[in-house]
Amino acid sequence: MTDYAAWIGRQESVADIAATPLDKSLPDAAKILAVLGRRGIAAAPRIRFVARVSNYNDEIPVIADGVDPTADRRVFKLASAIVSGTWLPPEEKKSVVMGARLAQELGLKVGDSLLVIAQTVDDVTNADEYSVVGLLDTPAPEVNESGLYMSLADARALLVAPSAPGGYATEVDAALPRAATLDAAIAKGEKTAAALRPELPGLRVDSIAYLARDYLAVRDAKATYSFVLIFVVLVIAAVGIVNTILMSVYSRIREIGVLRAYGMTRREISTLFTLEGLALGAIGSILGVALGALLDLALIVKGVSLAGFGSAAGSLPLSGVLRGEWNPRTMLTGFLFGLVVALVAARIPARQAAKLEPTSALRFQ
Amino acid sequence: MVALHLEKVTKIYRKGENEVRALDGVDLDIEAGEFLAIVGPSGSGKTTLLNILGCLDSPTEGRMIYDGRELRSLGEKGLSAYRRERISFVFQSYNLIPVLTVRENVELPLLIERKLSNGDVRSRSEEMIAAVGLAGKEGRYPRELSGGQEQRVAIARALVKRPLVVLADEPTANLDSHTAEEIVEIMRGINAERGTTFVFSTHDRLVMEHARRIVTIRDGKLTGDERK
Repeated sequence: MTDYAAWIGRQESVADIAATPLDKSLPDAAKILAVLGRRGIAAAPRIRFVARVSNYNDEIPVIADGVDPTADRRVFKLASAIVSGTWLPPEEKKSVVMGARLAQELGLKVGDSLLVIAQTVDDVTNADEYSVVGLLDTPAPEVNESGLYMSLADARALLVAPSAPGGYATEVDAALPRAATLDAAIAKGEKTAAALRPELPGLRVDSIAYLARDYLAVRDAKATYSFVLIFVVLVIAAVGIVNTILMSVYSRIREIGVLRAYGMTRREISTLFTLEGLALGAIGSILGVALGALLDLALIVKGVSLAGFGSAAGSLPLSGVLRGEWNPRTMLTGFLFGLVVALVAARIPARQAAKLEPTSALRFQ
Repeated sequence: MVALHLEKVTKIYRKGENEVRALDGVDLDIEAGEFLAIVGPSGSGKTTLLNILGCLDSPTEGRMIYDGRELRSLGEKGLSAYRRERISFVFQSYNLIPVLTVRENVELPLLIERKLSNGDVRSRSEEMIAAVGLAGKEGRYPRELSGGQEQRVAIARALVKRPLVVLADEPTANLDSHTAEEIVEIMRGINAERGTTFVFSTHDRLVMEHARRIVTIRDGKLTGDERK
């Protein structure tokens, strides 16, 4: 298992990336692959180009990728997102894998033929017929709706690409062994990209942190919102605990008077109610963590299918399964947080109880 | 032998600019083993005097010498310790802890004191429960008892730690006359048998009849001290 780490391409191609410029191909893909290979980094060359797909009646514009069927599997997870048919067979020519929704739009299924039309490197229109060997359903809507994948050899033939060292390619994508967390993967990607830049002069090396900056910004914003939400939940929990223990104190004021009369000190009374709050917090935290763990387990084992969520709401179509992550550290943090909140919250009523004069407490009605 | 000695004890409560002189220069000696009633009209200072005798409140002026010790300088912690070891209370409305059984209520002062082993706590509480005539009811909760039985539990609780003095604030006020007589008999019996000092405030003529000494208080001043 790997994590996508970096994109390597020509500096100039980034400015014009929306047009997928075929004239700004890599000068020496073989050298890039060799550099990455020496570092033990999985790498896959690609040719990205704009094309039109036709079922001979209708035509839909797509973003097509020429890929190395074997190397691509080590960097991307497309092969595991096949819902019908197979991933591109390395030896089979004139075959494509496409997004399931795109196929649906064109009324195509595995085994059908389609026409791919594209501008060649020399800006001449070219077209060829391909056979659909697999359909993709990924969590990325753009892949499902307009993704088309063919072998590098087919792409080079379609685009009439000139020969180049290592073969014509517009980018090389790199992946690193899977990290324990997303943050660790991002850090590793950033570090690797920084290390590669001096070795690949004249080329642009963008780490996953840069490529996914919009997503990461959204994630950070979400983390802030989550923090606010958690803070509000904790405030509610603290108010609940304070209220429960205050009720307990007020309903037992005469008892406090008796305990004081029989020689309990203010400190002992305060400790008594603090421990009561702590016990309440511990029971609540244990129950909360147990319930959360059960829900998490259900999310991990079964997950929640996102299919139908988006389209039902009339928004972007969503696919994939939302799964939980087993994270004992978060559970422990949650448990300890519950205890600390209970302890802090219990101190307020506990101090109130300790402040009571025994004579006033005994007179309390 | 003098167990409790109050000398010129005054207690003043301040409410805004007003001063209420609840006790006014009270001199009182209570000897060990006495069975003493404090009587007087409502608002005369009976409860204040009991609170001061019980170290629940401290005097504004005057000295308190208990069992040979001057208590004024002890502070909150020291007074708590003194109460824990030497003083017990019986309240008008019993003040038993409703979630504890009879045995647990009686054991409470010993558990607060933390001097005895669990076995000794158990045997001492059973002895006191039997002494107040409640043997067999150790596992009951206060809600399952009559008022008289609750007050017997309160007396057992007060005596279980073998205090220097038991202070009782109107102990029979919530009881019918027959039960009140039973309770007074129990206190008298323990006083005679064990020599425990009892000081109680009362309006009850029956209780006064059983008292061996009656101290009268009016407007915070002792106005009578009659020994039988």
